[in-house]
Amino acid sequence: MKRFVDNITGGNPRALLAPCLVSLCTGFCQIVPSLLVFAVFDTMYLAYARGEAMNMAKLWGICGLLVAWIAVEYAARARAHEKTAMVAYDLSAVGRVALAEHLRTLPLGFFGSRDPAALTTMLLGDYNNVETTVSFYVPQLVSAVILPIIVFFIMLLFSPQMALAMFLPLPVCFAIMWLSSGLQKKISGRHVKAREDSAGRLQEYLLGMRDIKSHNLGGERFEALREAFARLKRESLRMEIIVVPIVLIAIAALRSGLTLMLLVGTFLLVGGELSLPIFLLFLLLGMRVVEPLSVALVHYAELRYTALSAERIMAIRRERPLPGTGEAPRGGDIRFDRVSFAYQDTDVLHDVSFLAPAGSVTALVGPSGSGKSTVTRLIARFWEVRQGAIFFDGHDIKTCDPESILSRISMVFQDVYLFKDTIRNNIAVGRQGATDQDVEEAARKACCHDFIVALPQGYDTPVGEGGCTLSGGEKQRISIARALLKDAPVILLDEATASLDPENEISVQQGINALVANKTVLIIAHRLRTVRKADWIVVLDSGRVVEQGTHDGLLAEGGLYRHLWTLQQQAAGWSMRAA
Amino acid sequence: MRMAKKKTGIPRLLAIAGAQRGMLLLSGFLSVISSLLMLTPFLSAYHILQELLRNAADPSGNDVDLLLYWAIAAFVALLAALVFLYASAIASHYAAFSILYTLRIRLAEHLATLPMGFHTRESTGTTRKTLEVNVEKIESFIAHQLPDLAGAIALPLLMLAAMFVLDWRLALACAVPIVAAFVMQGMVFQGKTAQEHTRLYHDALEKMNAAGVEYVRGMPAVKVFGITVRSFLGFHAAIQSYQEQAVQISRTYKHPYTLFFVILSSILAFVLPVGLYLLGREPDPQAFAVTLLLFLVMAPGLPMPVLKLLNIGGNLRMIAEGVERIDALLDLAPVAEPARPQKPRTHDITFDDVHFTYAGTDGTEEAPEALAGVSFVAGENTLTALVGPSGGGKSTIANLIPRFWDVTSGAVRIGGVDIRDMGTAHLMDTVSFVFQDVHLFRDTIEENIRMGRNISHEQVVAAARAARCHDFISALPEGYATRIGEGGTYLSGGEGQRLAIARALLKNAPILVLDEATAFADPENEAQIQQGISSLIRGKTVLVIAHRLTSIREADQILVVDKGRIVERGRHEELLHAEGLYRRMWDAYTEAETWHLPAGRTGAIQEAA
Repeated sequence: MKRFVDNITGGNPRALLAPCLVSLCTGFCQIVPSLLVFAVFDTMYLAYARGEAMNMAKLWGICGLLVAWIAVEYAARARAHEKTAMVAYDLSAVGRVALAEHLRTLPLGFFGSRDPAALTTMLLGDYNNVETTVSFYVPQLVSAVILPIIVFFIMLLFSPQMALAMFLPLPVCFAIMWLSSGLQKKISGRHVKAREDSAGRLQEYLLGMRDIKSHNLGGERFEALREAFARLKRESLRMEIIVVPIVLIAIAALRSGLTLMLLVGTFLLVGGELSLPIFLLFLLLGMRVVEPLSVALVHYAELRYTALSAERIMAIRRERPLPGTGEAPRGGDIRFDRVSFAYQDTDVLHDVSFLAPAGSVTALVGPSGSGKSTVTRLIARFWEVRQGAIFFDGHDIKTCDPESILSRISMVFQDVYLFKDTIRNNIAVGRQGATDQDVEEAARKACCHDFIVALPQGYDTPVGEGGCTLSGGEKQRISIARALLKDAPVILLDEATASLDPENEISVQQGINALVANKTVLIIAHRLRTVRKADWIVVLDSGRVVEQGTHDGLLAEGGLYRHLWTLQQQAAGWSMRAA
Repeated sequence: MRMAKKKTGIPRLLAIAGAQRGMLLLSGFLSVISSLLMLTPFLSAYHILQELLRNAADPSGNDVDLLLYWAIAAFVALLAALVFLYASAIASHYAAFSILYTLRIRLAEHLATLPMGFHTRESTGTTRKTLEVNVEKIESFIAHQLPDLAGAIALPLLMLAAMFVLDWRLALACAVPIVAAFVMQGMVFQGKTAQEHTRLYHDALEKMNAAGVEYVRGMPAVKVFGITVRSFLGFHAAIQSYQEQAVQISRTYKHPYTLFFVILSSILAFVLPVGLYLLGREPDPQAFAVTLLLFLVMAPGLPMPVLKLLNIGGNLRMIAEGVERIDALLDLAPVAEPARPQKPRTHDITFDDVHFTYAGTDGTEEAPEALAGVSFVAGENTLTALVGPSGGGKSTIANLIPRFWDVTSGAVRIGGVDIRDMGTAHLMDTVSFVFQDVHLFRDTIEENIRMGRNISHEQVVAAARAARCHDFISALPEGYATRIGEGGTYLSGGEGQRLAIARALLKNAPILVLDEATAFADPENEAQIQQGISSLIRGKTVLVIAHRLTSIREADQILVVDKGRIVERGRHEELLHAEGLYRRMWDAYTEAETWHLPAGRTGAIQEAA
C-alpha cells in the first residue's frame, strides 16, 4: 500500500493529502441533505404520533436550508475539482521530467535491451494513468472508506445494534476483495500470457509479412496467429467468468448490510427500543454510504490496473546509473585485463586480454556471435564487466564517470540515429558550439558535402524521424562527419557491413581514413582484407581470444585466422552461374 | 461487401455488434430484468414506511410479518438481480470476445492482401495498435457499455414511470433538474471556447507524445554527444505546455462541470418545495406525506444511472474513434485479384515500359518516379543481374514481380501473362524470394523451413542439406525441433539466410528473385551461402540484385539501373568495353575491395611492448 502511494506520487505521498481532503469534504456535503430529510421526517412523524397538524413553518425552514445548501456544495465541489486537477497534472509533469532525466543517466546497454516503444509508453501513457489515479480513483476510494467509518460512529451514538447490523457485512466485503486479489492475480497470469503471446505473434506476423505473403500464409492460414487469438478469446472469457462473481458477491455483501439493518430495525421498533425517525435516519445514512462504496468497489480493479503502471515506472526509477565519478583520461591506450562478461545469463566473453596502444589500429575479427561488438560496447560502458577490468590509460574505467568516458570516444556503428532536425544540426551535435565552417569542413572530409549540397535545401534540409530519407551509406557518412567534429581520441568502428554500392563504399572508406588518423582505433572487421595492415589483430571465437598478432604472424600460425582468410579469398572470386 | 453509405460512430459499432445479435439481445434483456429487480428495495421501503407511519402512534400495532416480508423480499430481489447481472455480463462478454476474435482474424487476413507498400510505409507499432488497443476498445463497448446502456436507460425510465404513477407533480419535480443539467452540459461542450480549449489540449498532448518518442529513440545519441535534456528537442517544454493546457481545460470546465453535478445531486431541493406546497393543499395530507417521503428516499438514487449514461457517452466517443481506425484499415484496397486468373506456361519475365512511383506517405507530396520506362526480357532459365547505385531502382524492379506494388503504367509479364491477370496465390507459387533481411518465426526450425507446406521431414532435411544448414541445425540441442526466438535459440544473420535458401529450395518455384545477400555474413557463412545459392539457382529464371560485381561476372545479362532507367545492358565483358557506368562501378568496386585501414602510428606496438 505504502509502496503504491509512493509509486504514484513519485515518493511524495503528501501530494495526495489535498485531493483526499477535498474529496472527503464533498462526501460530507452529501450527508447533510440526508440529515435534513431526516428532520422533515421527524417533523411529519410528530404530527402522526401526536395527531396534530403539520408544523409547516418548520418544514419550510428545513426546505430553505436544503436549497441554501446547494451553494455550499457548489463551493466544495468547485474547489475539489480544481485542487485535484492541479495536483494530478503537477505530479505527472514533475514525474515525467524526473523520469526523462533519470533515463539519461542510465547506461547505454539499458537502451539496447529495451523496446523504445515500451519506454515511450511508460513516459507518456503510464503517467496518464497516474493522472487519473491521483485525480480520481484514490480520492474517491479514500472518501468512500473514511466516510462510512465516520457515519458508523455517528450511528453508534444513536443505536449500537443498528450500527453493527449495518456495518457487519463491511469487513466481510473487504475480506472477499482482499482474498480475491490473490486469486485474481493467479488467473490473470494466464490471461496476461495469452495477451502477450498474441501481441508477439501479431508483431512477427507484421514483421514477416513479406515472407508470409510469398508463402501464401495470410490470415487464418498462419496457424500460430490464429491459435494465439483463439487462446486470448478463451482466456479472456474464463477470466470474466471467474472474476465478475467476486465483485458481485462483494457488492451483495455490502448491500446486505442495509437489509440486515432493516430486519434488526423492525424488531427493535416493534419492541419499542427504537423510534421511527431514528430508524429512517439509519436508512437514509445507510444508502448514502453504500452507493459510493459500491462504486469504489467497481473502480478497485481499475485502481489496481493503474498500480501496474506506477509499478513499471518505479522499476525504471530503481535502475541505477553506473558508478564512477573520475574524469576520464584525455587519451592513451586501452587494455583488457582478463575480462569476462555475461549478458543476463548468457556468457559472452571469457577471460579476454589484449592491449590497444595509443594511436594504433586494433582489429577484432571472428565469426559472428564471437563477441566482437561486446568488446567495443564494454569500452563505452554499455554494461559493467563481470570479472577483470578495462584500463583506459592505466585508469580502471569503472572509476571514471560514464559520461566522461563517452566524451572521449567516437562510435561509428551501422545503426545511425538522425535527429528530426536539419542536416547541419545533425552534424553539429558532434561538438557543441561548432560553426558552419566547422560543420562543412567535417562534411567534406567525411565525403558528404557533395550529396548534401545537391539536396533541395542543402545543409538546412530536415531529415525525418529516424532519418528515413537518406540512404544507409549517406547516414553512415553523416555519422563519420559527426565523429570528425567530436575529435575524440578513441574511435570504435564497425566496418560497414550493410550493402553499399561501390561508389558509396569508397566515400565511406575515405571518410574513415580521415577519421582514424592519429587515433586509438578499435575496429570490428568483417572483411579481413580491410584490416590486414592493422597494427594488431585480435581473433575471437565464442567469447575467447583464440589468437592475436599481426596479419603476417597470424597467417603463419595457421589457425582460425588463416582458415577465415582462405575462405574469404575463395568467396571473393565466386560467381553465380546459370544452369 | 462494401456498404453503400459508410456508417461511422455508434451506428457502425452497432453494425459490428450485430454479428452476435442474439447473444446481445439476451444480455440486454437480462440486464433490464436485473435493473427491475434492483428497484424492489424501494418498493419495500414504501410498504414498510407506510405500515410504520400508519402505526406511528402505537408502534406495537405494526404487522411484523409484513415488515419482515418486505425486508427479506428486498434482499432476495437484490440477490436475484445480481445473478441476472452476472448472466448478462457473461452473455455480453461471450459476444464481445467472439466478435473481437473474428475482427482480428479478418484484419490479419486483410493485411496480408494489402500491397507491400502499406507495410513498409506504416510502422508495425501503428498497425499493432489498431489490432490490439482499438479492437479491445470494442470489447468494452459490447461487453460493458451495451448492457449497461440497456440498464441505465431502463432503470431511470422505470423509476420515473413508477413515480409518475404515484404522483405526477412530484415526478415532474424530479425530472426537471435532470433534464436541465443535461441540456446545460450539452450547451457547454458545444461552445466555441470549450472546443477551442479541447483542440489546444489535444495538440499539446500530441506534441508531448511526439517529443517523448524522439527523446527515447534518440537517447543513445544524446548520451554519446553529451546533449543536455532541457535543451533537447523541447521535450521538457512540451511536458510543461501539456500541463498548462490540461490545467487550463480543467479551469474552463470548472464551473459548468460543478454546476452539473450539484444540480443532479440536489434533486431533493426541487422535490421538497413542491411537495410542501402540495402538502398544504391536499385534502388528505397524511396519505400524501407517505408518498412525499417515498420520493424523498428515492429521488437521490435517480441521477446514479443517469451519470453512468454520461460516462458511457464519453467512452463511446473514444471507442468510435478506435473503430474509425479499424475501418480505415479495412477500407484500404487490397491487391486486385483478376476476374479470370490465367496461368503462364513458360517462365520468362518481361518488363514492358514500366513506370512506377511510390505514393507519398500522406499523398500530398509528389514523389519522383522510381522507375521511368524500364523494359527488358529475362529469358527462361537465364540469370539476369541488376546492378547500379543504391536508390537507382534495382530493388523496385525486384519488388514489382511479386506485386508487392503494382506498376503505375506499363506491364510486368510472366510467360506472356500480365502478372495482374494471375491469381495472387498462383503468382506467389511461381516466384520465390531470398532477401537480405530474413524473418524467422517463433517456431521450430523445421516449421521455419517448411512454411506451412505439407511435406515430409526427409524433404525438409534434404533442402537443409542443399542449403548448407543441416550441419549447424544438427549441432543444436534439439536439432530440427529447436525453437527459434524467445525461449529458444537465436540464429546468426548468415544462418538465417541459409534457412531462407532452404525455404526457397523447398518451394521450388520456377522464378527466383534474389537479393545477393552475402554482405552480412562472416567468412565461414559466406562460403556456405554461396554454395547454397549455387544449388538454388539451378534450372530457374533468376533475377539477382547484385552488390558484389564479381559474383555476377558470368550472368547471361547484366542490367545497369540508374535513376529509374536501364542505362546499360549486356554481358560483363561487353559492359567493361563500353566504358560507361558499369565500367566506373567496376573500377570503384575493385578499388573498394582493396581498401584497408591505414596502420596506426608507426611503432606504437613496439613502444607499448
